[in-house]
Amino acid sequence: MGGVGGSGAAPPDVDILSYLVGRAFQTVLSMLVVVSIVFVLTRLSGNPIYLLLDVNATQRDQEILTRHLGLDKPLPVQYGIYVMNVAVGDFGNSIISRRPVTEHIWERLPATVELGFVAMFLSVLIGVPLGMYSAVRRGGVLDTAARVFAVLGQSMPTFWLGLMLILFFGVVLGVLPAGGRGGLLHLVLPAFTLGYFTSAAILRLTRSAMLEVLGSDYIKFARLKGLHEQVVLWKHGLRNALLPVVTFAVLLFVQFLGGAVVTETVFAWPGLGRLILESITTRDYPVVQAGVLVLSALYLTGNLCVDLLYSYLNPRIRHVSS
Amino acid sequence: MNRPFAIALALLTAWFSLLAAPSSVAAKPEGTLTVAVATFGNERWLPHLYVGAEDVVLKPMYENLLTRDPKTGELAPMLAERWQVLDGGRTWRFHIRKGVRFHNGAELTAEDVRFTFASIAKEGSANSLAPEFRAIKSMEVENPHTLTVHFDKPFVVFGNKVNQGLFASCAFIQSKRHIEAAGEQGAERQPIGTGPWKFVEHVRGDRIVYEAVENHWRATPHWKRLVFSKVPEPATRMAMLRAGSVDVIEIGGEYVDELKKVNVRTIVMPNVSWVYIILGGQWPTKATYDPKVPWAQPDAERARKVRLALNLAVDKQAIMQRVLGGLGTVLGSWLAYPADPWASETLKKPFPYEPAKAKQLLAEAGYPNGFEVTMNLTAWPGRGYLPDVGEAVATYWERVGIKVKRRPVDRAVFSADFRARAYSGVTLAYASPLVAPEMWEVLYRGAYTKASLNLFMEHPRLDEFIDRLAVQPNYQERVRIMRDEMGPFLHDYIPGVAIGAAHAIAGVGPKVGEWPLIAGHMGFHNWEYVTRK
Repeated sequence: MGGVGGSGAAPPDVDILSYLVGRAFQTVLSMLVVVSIVFVLTRLSGNPIYLLLDVNATQRDQEILTRHLGLDKPLPVQYGIYVMNVAVGDFGNSIISRRPVTEHIWERLPATVELGFVAMFLSVLIGVPLGMYSAVRRGGVLDTAARVFAVLGQSMPTFWLGLMLILFFGVVLGVLPAGGRGGLLHLVLPAFTLGYFTSAAILRLTRSAMLEVLGSDYIKFARLKGLHEQVVLWKHGLRNALLPVVTFAVLLFVQFLGGAVVTETVFAWPGLGRLILESITTRDYPVVQAGVLVLSALYLTGNLCVDLLYSYLNPRIRHVSS
Repeated sequence: MNRPFAIALALLTAWFSLLAAPSSVAAKPEGTLTVAVATFGNERWLPHLYVGAEDVVLKPMYENLLTRDPKTGELAPMLAERWQVLDGGRTWRFHIRKGVRFHNGAELTAEDVRFTFASIAKEGSANSLAPEFRAIKSMEVENPHTLTVHFDKPFVVFGNKVNQGLFASCAFIQSKRHIEAAGEQGAERQPIGTGPWKFVEHVRGDRIVYEAVENHWRATPHWKRLVFSKVPEPATRMAMLRAGSVDVIEIGGEYVDELKKVNVRTIVMPNVSWVYIILGGQWPTKATYDPKVPWAQPDAERARKVRLALNLAVDKQAIMQRVLGGLGTVLGSWLAYPADPWASETLKKPFPYEPAKAKQLLAEAGYPNGFEVTMNLTAWPGRGYLPDVGEAVATYWERVGIKVKRRPVDRAVFSADFRARAYSGVTLAYASPLVAPEMWEVLYRGAYTKASLNLFMEHPRLDEFIDRLAVQPNYQERVRIMRDEMGPFLHDYIPGVAIGAAHAIAGVGPKVGEWPLIAGHMGFHNWEYVTRK
């Protein structure tokens, strides 16, 4: 959540273009740091040669394969080659399949984006209205129900919820597929499982933001002006309360792309998170590196989008920037 | 022979030929057989790139020269319609079946077989059979359907290396022309074989889709499509089976009761791996040998007492029941299944559970207060129960005073130590699948390469047995040596802690009919024979 507040507003004394250039530079620098960390960590985690070759393979076989995969070179040399290749868009070949890494990423990315997008959509669809009405009807039945919903959503382990949903809707009722990727119906259970936790978080965030906004002077003034309550709530209240919610939602969406491993595993969903996890277990360095790089690029881009959204949603930020 | 009689005879022969060729008259393949397996993702299609770990998902597309009879376990023809063992095992001649076609329509020839063998043996090959195939001195293509393979030394069990009926069969015959024309990358993307299923789609670590080869020379599948789906979570696999999303699931023995409760049919694949505890360090000739390791110390008698104590301290029956779900047979020896002809009654009888005697033996060996030991808790593909077995054994050892340090360690990390024999004083649970029908072959493979002698121990007597068995062309004599000499030696030496032979199970959905399996074969196979209900 690094970008939620700290990186939020653009400095008032720079124009938006130089701000963007600066942020782009920061993004590249951050990605270089990520690549370096992942490069070192993957190399520390074990040698893929031992997994690729049979236990009876000779020393000579090991040497040949090590050389073939370029793992015989000193680490700094390997690192230099890798960074230079990445700079020109070459992520290398998978050690296991020997196919270009980008093919593997593109194979899995659509499934991940699809799941993440629908889960995020569900989260916002459930969390924002419930949070808002929970704030408006504070202490009422709906508020209590919403808070129970939020507590359950944030305390239930994802794998348990996923399995329960599979058993109930997939096995007992037989109305939804129990796992795998297919049509729209296949999306319902994994997206709900993934989205429930965040919808609960969004609900709580919306509720507290709305409570804060509803107590502010400009809302009181709007009411005094005689504006319709719905206009006060939706136009003046929600719009201002949405600032932290939008930030949270965008960053969570990006987190979904790489961090939905549990949901992907429970629902046998062929996503990017699972690919990275599996590649870690097989020490497929290039896939891990490229996967993490793609995810960090998405995360940093998401962060940047949040900043831009801030200036759009909050006129004060926009006016100061311009 | 008069003409009417000849015509009648010809018609009769034709009629019987039709009856005898089930593939040509078999019902058209229909429907999709979907199989959920726990893990795959390292699948490689080229002969020098696959190590055999993905046998389950690769086998449907490929065939070997030979197979094993499902009932007797004996070698049987497959792509080779017959074979000859000449010169005391130094020469093997394979007569390749005529009319067998690859999925691109090209006919299989002896050149393809030679190409496959050469690819497996070439430098840098990752194929687990590479050491054995490097023993080939030369190969001659006598004619398009005859290949002769020469060895320097007798290789009496080479037939077991070109065998479909084992896990993992890594000598699947490939098309020379296809690989040369498509290039390695092209052949990896669009692999072909001679098997009853042809390649349709592959998303690594997610799914593999095959389609039935109609009028296949051996067996036309009953199902039109065969889909392997990777579903890592066992509870999801069970739910998918119950919901009808998949037809077959791979599942561990710990779920057998749950499957019974919900009336899911299970198929048991009996005795598919030997489960035992490796006692690391029994390699006195290696630089990594540590004479202070209690079970590998130079005083052979004391070391044996320690190994016996480590066996007596463990309730193997309880482990079999509670950790392996009762799916297995407790044994008192190593590298033997209960039905093997060399598994004598003595070898089958497990070491009793006698913790008091174990304590006494430890005291006699000079360890009245026990000693410290590390138990590696490492999971191996397809054998996820091994860390639990290790944990159970560690708990039993603690009851007789041994201090056990549990070390959860990833396979990739431990593999380096495993290869280098750098785990003296370390123990771990291990399970060997049936990669060779004769138990000594596992040891032979290790000894032959000189890279990992005898896998878990080395001993001059064992080397002597291996050398004798390796050149003994008579199967019955090899059985005798194993039953009367080598088996008793291992039983008396006690190289590790024997647990037993484990079964595997599959959950099967209502659409699946008959499914004949080869005894002792770890992993699903014979998909072409699975019938529809």
